[in-house]
Amino acid sequence: MDSISYYLQTALNGILAGCIYALFAMGLTLIYGVLNFVNFAHGELIMWGAYFLFLFMGEPFGLPLYAAIPPALALTGCLGVAMDFSVFRPLRWANRLTLLIAAMGLSVFLRNAAQFFWGAEVRTYGLEVSAGTRFFGLYLTMPQMAIILVTLLCVGAVYLLFFRSRLGKSMRALSDNLDLARISGIDTKRAILAAWVISAVLAAIGGILLALDTNLSPEMGIINLIKAFAATLIGGVGNLWGALLGGLLIGLAENLGVLFISPGYKDGIAFVIMVIILLARPYVIVGERSD
Amino acid sequence: MDLLLHLAVVVAIYSIFALSLNVEIGYTGLFNFGHVAFFAIGAYTSALLTLSGAPFAVGLLAGLAAAGVCGYLLSIPALKLQGDYFGIATLGFGEILRMVVSNEVWLTKGPMGLPGIPRPEILGFIFDTLPAYLALSACMALTTFAILAFVVLSPFGRALKAVRDDETAAEILGKNALRFKIKSFVIGSTFAGLAGVLWAHYTTFISPGDFTLTETILVLLIVVMGGKGTLPGPVLGAVALIFFQESVRFLRLPPEWTRLLGPLQQMVFGLLLVVLMVFRPEGIIRERGGRHGD
Amino acid sequence: MKNLSALVAVIAAFSFAAAPSAQAADTIKIGAAFALSGSIAVYGEGFKKCIDLAVEEINAKGGIKGKKIEIVYEDNKSNPKDCVTAVRKLITVDRVPVIFGPAGSSNFMATAPVAQENKVVLLSAQGAAVGLTRAGDYIFRVFPSDTLQGPHLARLAMSMGYKKVPVMYVNNDWGLGLKDAFVEAYKKMGGTVTDIIAYDEKKTDYRTELLRASRGNPPAIVNLTYINEGAVQFKQAFEMGIKTQWLCGSAARAPKMVELAGKAAEGVIGTYPSVPQNTKAYQAFKEAYKKKYGDDKIPIFGDYNYDMVYVTAKAIEKGGYTADGIRKALPQAAKGYKGVTGDKTFDAERSPKFAEYGIWTVKDGKIEDYRK
Repeated sequence: MDSISYYLQTALNGILAGCIYALFAMGLTLIYGVLNFVNFAHGELIMWGAYFLFLFMGEPFGLPLYAAIPPALALTGCLGVAMDFSVFRPLRWANRLTLLIAAMGLSVFLRNAAQFFWGAEVRTYGLEVSAGTRFFGLYLTMPQMAIILVTLLCVGAVYLLFFRSRLGKSMRALSDNLDLARISGIDTKRAILAAWVISAVLAAIGGILLALDTNLSPEMGIINLIKAFAATLIGGVGNLWGALLGGLLIGLAENLGVLFISPGYKDGIAFVIMVIILLARPYVIVGERSD
Repeated sequence: MDLLLHLAVVVAIYSIFALSLNVEIGYTGLFNFGHVAFFAIGAYTSALLTLSGAPFAVGLLAGLAAAGVCGYLLSIPALKLQGDYFGIATLGFGEILRMVVSNEVWLTKGPMGLPGIPRPEILGFIFDTLPAYLALSACMALTTFAILAFVVLSPFGRALKAVRDDETAAEILGKNALRFKIKSFVIGSTFAGLAGVLWAHYTTFISPGDFTLTETILVLLIVVMGGKGTLPGPVLGAVALIFFQESVRFLRLPPEWTRLLGPLQQMVFGLLLVVLMVFRPEGIIRERGGRHGD
Repeated sequence: MKNLSALVAVIAAFSFAAAPSAQAADTIKIGAAFALSGSIAVYGEGFKKCIDLAVEEINAKGGIKGKKIEIVYEDNKSNPKDCVTAVRKLITVDRVPVIFGPAGSSNFMATAPVAQENKVVLLSAQGAAVGLTRAGDYIFRVFPSDTLQGPHLARLAMSMGYKKVPVMYVNNDWGLGLKDAFVEAYKKMGGTVTDIIAYDEKKTDYRTELLRASRGNPPAIVNLTYINEGAVQFKQAFEMGIKTQWLCGSAARAPKMVELAGKAAEGVIGTYPSVPQNTKAYQAFKEAYKKKYGDDKIPIFGDYNYDMVYVTAKAIEKGGYTADGIRKALPQAAKGYKGVTGDKTFDAERSPKFAEYGIWTVKDGKIEDYRK
């Protein structure tokens, strides 16, 4: 492999990883923006989304891939709403640590529930492995093209929903100030519900794409979640474009980084970049203040 | 019974670990999600020194010092970040430290771990039996408790709470919030190092597997379950959580259930956490005069 | 204070549950600290199946001097801390004189000092790390050390004409140990290692690590990988058009890997401690396994676990049901014992003295012995 396509292929790998992080980060940042807490159980929505697809593709349903995707997404959406109703709604005014621990508990519960039903072993949808098609010296497979296209589509759809619809407007108002939004007559319940559904569906899409590209395992969500956190924070809380850019940045940085540093440190790159970027951005910094 | 003694040692060590986190998270409001890093620094420093022939006292002091110094060095950039940002930066530090331990094989032997760490020897007495080690770690836990009680009940401790509850007000009162936070973080890190030293000399074998994010989460749960911002909270939390987790071993279940038992136990654990947070978020012991639901 | 008393009540309730149940004196109890939950529970389940099979067979033939064997399984959650607790529980509550230790060399090594101090025999059926049994004379293993496998892999690479290779390995005790053994032997034979790439377990994306290894189109890459990691890696390398000869160790040799990787695993070659499958003992084992579990996919290391039960049972019969008796009788019991996995004679380090290494490959979706 010659040198230019070597680096280009690495960049492509970075973009693929980045798209997955971005899909996870978008769902996280949405809930973070609207309800102001880190949903530690988001990784489990990712994993359950992928397992729901596995469920509908296997016995007794036996649906083909394209037919199994809608019910899987719908079911994950329901799971997101159920999470909110059972745990987060009673805690709407609780402090952050309480919310975080509750989300962690939920994460442990859901992850082990998946292991309870499907076992700890890694599974696959059983699709045929195929060599990538060659474009200008780069290899790209169908699931990978799907990852990039679907990520773009999701960003577009969420953008439209957020900035071009009434529902989106109320969600943004909530994101700015929950109390104020409530007072000004916005249907906060509906907006929060919508945020959960969108967040969960985004998680499921990300999970399914990840599982199509690799495999399913009960830990598939949680192991990528920390990177998604970092992407969320790089992009700025509640900022959809930021989540996309943050995800891509982390994906590119860690893949290009592997070429130059000891690959054992690959997972550290995301954090170093995040801290550098955060420190360089004045508005999240406290300490000496001019006012 | 030896198992109880063993669990008591674990409880003592984790009490120290939890008490140290409580200074940061409970009293100062610092969300440290990389606390296990300082546990690891203490453990590895002391293990490496004693394995190369240094006496236990040297390993102990060096372990404390190394954890404290690393805490100080981390706190300077990290404390410029607030809330969740600080949390994820410390989480990143914890992960990077684990990577250093796994990759710098020349120093730490990497994933192979360090076997044969000597038992502590103080003035010719070797703490090589369970009761002796329990006595040692209980002593250390009591000392930690006493020192931290002194710290948090002093004006310094009240200043920490002031910083936690209302930073702007604390600043106006002339207290430099950042300096208090750094001090709190260094104290927490140092005592986490102590827990790490005790752990290393107790198991006599350490490897990167001992220092994962799971341990940070466990100790975080201990603090929150027990009652953050209270003195006895972390100790009670350690007792309750460790005994709860172990008690499941004694339920007599049919052998064909064992495959399902592991996940089921974890499911119950997760559910309990959720229920606890919904119905009693302040933990077993409630902080007096503390603010909740902000 | 109300809550405090509630807590005390809960703890008290659990302490009652903790009281040891009536000891059944007519069984021979053996402890097993296995991973029954957590990410590697899938291995633990496989070991358990084979151990249960062996126990059932021995008990059907009348047990040990008329007493039936009972295995006390304890979940080790596959982390060192819980491994230690599991072993301590087996020693002090169940009072077993002999324990089958946890998988994963670092987990096993965390428990070894506990067993040694308490004078309880601890056996490993899958620990390959060098120095695994050094904690003392109560620690045994029935699985050969990787000090033996490394040179075999180096010889394989050399005999196939690969004088320069990059090495990738999973960054844990097994991967690092085998990598060191391989690199040392390979360099001695005149080979050159062009790059060394460590990667973490359980990741979903290894593309760039693979790309870095394939830089300069090496004809072969040594990849010391596991089942799931290997499956993901071979798939991703295949997708990126990386064409090379993969050389692996024993840990990826599993039907599950081929199932997950599909045709991307075709042609992968590796070494493994070979168990001649045409022996009578192995055929009988396979037959019995199929009869009990309905399939003939023997779990990885399952055969070693099976042998471990038989060797232990023999030692108990010879030396009596005490830790010291078992420790002293184990070398005699194993000496010349031809199990499913071959001759189980121990060497001075309480590891198998003999180990044959075979070469495996994936052909038409099946794992086979490699023939040039």
